[in-house]
Amino acid sequence: MSTQFVQAVWGGVLFGSVYGLMALGLTLVWGAVRLLNLAHGALFVVGAYAAYWVVSFLHLPILVALPFGVLAAAAFAYLMHIIFIRPVIGKPGFDNSTLVATVGISIAVSAAALLIFNPQYKVVPPVLSGSTIVAGVQITYQGLLVIGTSLALFAIVYAFLTYTRLGMAIRAVSQQTEAASLMSIPVVQTYGIVIAISGGLAGLAGVLLSPSFFLSPNSGFNPMIQALIVTIFGGLGSVRGALVAGFVLGVFESFVEVFYGVGWAQPGVFILIILMLIVRPNGLFGIGEVKRL
Amino acid sequence: MLEVKGLVAGYAGSEVLQGIDLVVHDREGVIVLGPNGHGKTTLLRAITGLLPPSAGQVLLNGKDITRWRPDVIAAAGVVHIPQGDLLFPEMTVLENLVMGAYNRATWSERNVRLGHVYELFPWLKERGGQLARTLSGGERRMLALGRGLMSKAQILLIDEPSLGLAPLTTQQIYASIQTVKESGMSLLLADENANHVAGLADRVYLLETGMLVREGPADELLRDKALLESYLG
Repeated sequence: MSTQFVQAVWGGVLFGSVYGLMALGLTLVWGAVRLLNLAHGALFVVGAYAAYWVVSFLHLPILVALPFGVLAAAAFAYLMHIIFIRPVIGKPGFDNSTLVATVGISIAVSAAALLIFNPQYKVVPPVLSGSTIVAGVQITYQGLLVIGTSLALFAIVYAFLTYTRLGMAIRAVSQQTEAASLMSIPVVQTYGIVIAISGGLAGLAGVLLSPSFFLSPNSGFNPMIQALIVTIFGGLGSVRGALVAGFVLGVFESFVEVFYGVGWAQPGVFILIILMLIVRPNGLFGIGEVKRL
Repeated sequence: MLEVKGLVAGYAGSEVLQGIDLVVHDREGVIVLGPNGHGKTTLLRAITGLLPPSAGQVLLNGKDITRWRPDVIAAAGVVHIPQGDLLFPEMTVLENLVMGAYNRATWSERNVRLGHVYELFPWLKERGGQLARTLSGGERRMLALGRGLMSKAQILLIDEPSLGLAPLTTQQIYASIQTVKESGMSLLLADENANHVAGLADRVYLLETGMLVREGPADELLRDKALLESYLG
């Protein structure tokens, strides 16, 4: 196998799992709450800075910082739910007001990170350091960890939604809100839980990815846009779609990048998406309005 | 058991219910009869909190449950089997049933409860793995009833059990409701057909344009064909 090919596969699988990890949280919230959370990138940043703070100011190891970052992002997401989402649930204009609110939160988080930390790039240490060479390509252990974590999280989220009381309640709420409340499921509280879970997933992505991409107040923007693209490609609200679309787009982008140059990577992805949406307007797992979680 | 006092409710300023007073005693089968569009569904939705009433009171065993959230009212044992069934379409028959036992009080005994529901509707057991959205109208109604029975209900509120069903299926549905009632359950049933409810009813209310215009023992009211004709057409 040529080095180029191995490079493309490795990069693709790595990107793919990164995209999938970000898209998972986004698609969960869309599926259950019908909320397009444009603050998903801000949650990424909250998680990453929280971990950075634990490492740099408390001088604790990254393994302590990781759960701290996840919890900080989940808590932040829950707070966002309480203050900005919950008051408008079930009211006319929910879509518009939450869209504006989540964009506002993104800007506020960037500004806060700038004020508290400063605009310089921050380094978050990897959980695993070191690497190995396969067919001339450097395979980082952190990269392997990211891939493994992403796949494991998809499996965990799937099992959670399918087999647990709370996970089933989340699906029930997403499919028939009124009936869910007649089954004594507290709908709004369930929304809050989904948003917090989604925040935790974004925070985890933030902590795991910052060693490879550096950390700045706007670090969350690109991963969120990519997650949005993946989510739309896979079908909004579909967990399976987010997984498949993450890897399809990741591998595609990586192959274009390796064989046609970096300049073609983003345009290539967009061309693929436009073509796909012409054929299947509801995304790969085109579930549209009818089928949800 | 359930007491409704001066209930006023409706949509966007125009009240459908104009002050309803109604009582369901323990183990009693109460039927609210009325033509379509006169407020039967609104009445049940106002009682279970899906449509918060603008005035009046709902009492459960003397406790004021007016304006409680629907999930809290359901947890208290007022179980509403809504019009249109409102199943979870992308969940299986089994999953739909299990969601009926979501409450902490029933979750741990959900398998025992499943057994009871299967006794009533053996059919549900065979089709456990089928998605709810693929069921026929009659099957949906049975699943909706079964799902409601998975909870620890003190009183069942059923909205037009025969709506949209073929005559044979309608008979089956009322026979199962009869069985549930005989097990000691209190019932509040909204219906527009007096013939279906004869066996279930202890007392009947007649609902017309948002007001209860008559109340009386079932064997008296349901026998009065002329009266029923004038109200139900």
